[in-house]
Amino acid sequence: MIKLENVTKVYKGDNVALRDATLDIGKGEFVFLVGASGSGKSTFIRLLNREEVPEHGKIFVAGKDIANLGTWKVPYLRRNIGYIFQDFKLLPNKTVAENVAFALEVIGKPRHVVKKQVPAILELVGLSQKMSNFPHELSGGEQQRVSIARAFVNRPLILLADEPTGNLDPQTSVGIMRLLDRINRTGTTVVMATHDRGIVDTMRRRVIELDRGVIVRDQARGVYE
Amino acid sequence: MAISPLYALRETGQNLWRNILLTTATIITIGVSLLMFGSFRLFNDAVDNATQRWEGGIEFVIWMNPEASAEQDSAILEALVSSPQIRDHTYVDQLETFEEFKELFADTPEMIEVVTPEAMPPSYRVVPLDPDADVVEELANQFRGRPGVKEVVSANETIRSIQDLADRAGIFLFAGSFVLLAAATLLILTNIVSAIRNRGREIEIMKVVGATNWFIRIPFMLEGLAQAMIGAALSWGGLYAFDRFVLSEFSQPDGLELLAGFQVSDEQFLTTTIWLLGIAIVVSVIGSLVAVTRYLDA
Repeated sequence: MIKLENVTKVYKGDNVALRDATLDIGKGEFVFLVGASGSGKSTFIRLLNREEVPEHGKIFVAGKDIANLGTWKVPYLRRNIGYIFQDFKLLPNKTVAENVAFALEVIGKPRHVVKKQVPAILELVGLSQKMSNFPHELSGGEQQRVSIARAFVNRPLILLADEPTGNLDPQTSVGIMRLLDRINRTGTTVVMATHDRGIVDTMRRRVIELDRGVIVRDQARGVYE
Repeated sequence: MAISPLYALRETGQNLWRNILLTTATIITIGVSLLMFGSFRLFNDAVDNATQRWEGGIEFVIWMNPEASAEQDSAILEALVSSPQIRDHTYVDQLETFEEFKELFADTPEMIEVVTPEAMPPSYRVVPLDPDADVVEELANQFRGRPGVKEVVSANETIRSIQDLADRAGIFLFAGSFVLLAAATLLILTNIVSAIRNRGREIEIMKVVGATNWFIRIPFMLEGLAQAMIGAALSWGGLYAFDRFVLSEFSQPDGLELLAGFQVSDEQFLTTTIWLLGIAIVVSVIGSLVAVTRYLDA
């Protein structure tokens, strides 16, 4: 599903964020990206979403070399990739249902599809009772569930999560991880950057560790360190 | 993927409403600048219409009797050709005079209905070497009262003053409208940049979930277009009032005889309207394209 071949990303001032990275992530895998702040986790995720372009190497997503993708094709790539933010990034003037529907409306999905898919995804994340609430009326965990619903409502092949539990307490984080695990079991590939040792050690999934832009560990059913 | 018209209208409306003060300032600036430009065009058209027989250095006109004989006619022509004080002359026949008359009284067809080309006097439009008023008057006098000549009319200083005033006012209106249009373009740009910044998070989400660039851009571009079109409509209203209540006053029977014909035809007014729309579109496209390419796609 995802393949990196000798990928190097350098920011201004010769700041190497990712160096000569090569790896394969299969369909339906759940992968944790771990490493200290500045180790290149976020860059890795941004490269997969084509927010960044590598200086060297190739990145294949669903068989397509996205490093050489034309700019006009990028939106179509992103429709196959869900993105979960650490700080949720919900729209404060829209209700829960409207926030989720927004993700479908802006890619031109017909109204009847929106009407059908939004309640279904809110049911999946356990927020059916709060469809009409505004984000400020929700807890942090509930806001992250809305963010996950928005990322998954279009049934993407890949879900990228950049520290999705970073702003949540441990108990709420467990609930979010259960939800991501459930989504992963539908066949969706999940790539999640995290600092949460407890979650990584509990779930025992594939762990890729980065250190100053270099992949120093790639372990199946791994732990945080 | 097509953008839904309802979505585009809703987003454009919201963008305009969120920045209502800046939107109002932009619309007023566009309206005033286009009004100045439109006035410049209409004023020029009106002056041209009123003074068209005095253009190209023509200082006096020898109107011949429609019944003048060929001998009388050639005697005048010979005098014009042989005079060392005359640089050039043009003969305007009865049909051409009739066409001129029709243009001058385009808005009063009842006047046109009662005349025929045969009733029109042909004329010689004379360009002297020296445009000095005394010299022109002396030259004109040489032709007054000659056989076949109906009347000799010279361009007096008032007509020259009107042309001079029109030129100066035209420069002021044109320069003023140009400066204001530049300001309006910057205001449209500022307004859209402000809307883009207000909706930063929305735009970020749109990009992340795969909205196309055009889907994101179109409401902002429509915002610029809407402001320009409302401004153009306001200026059109102002120009309509200017045409109906100011220019038409000059051509009233009790108005100054000199300013008879100081009006614009419907065709000229339509041309100016098209200019206003065209400029409004260009201004909005420049302002909004710079805003979306520089601040949205970055």
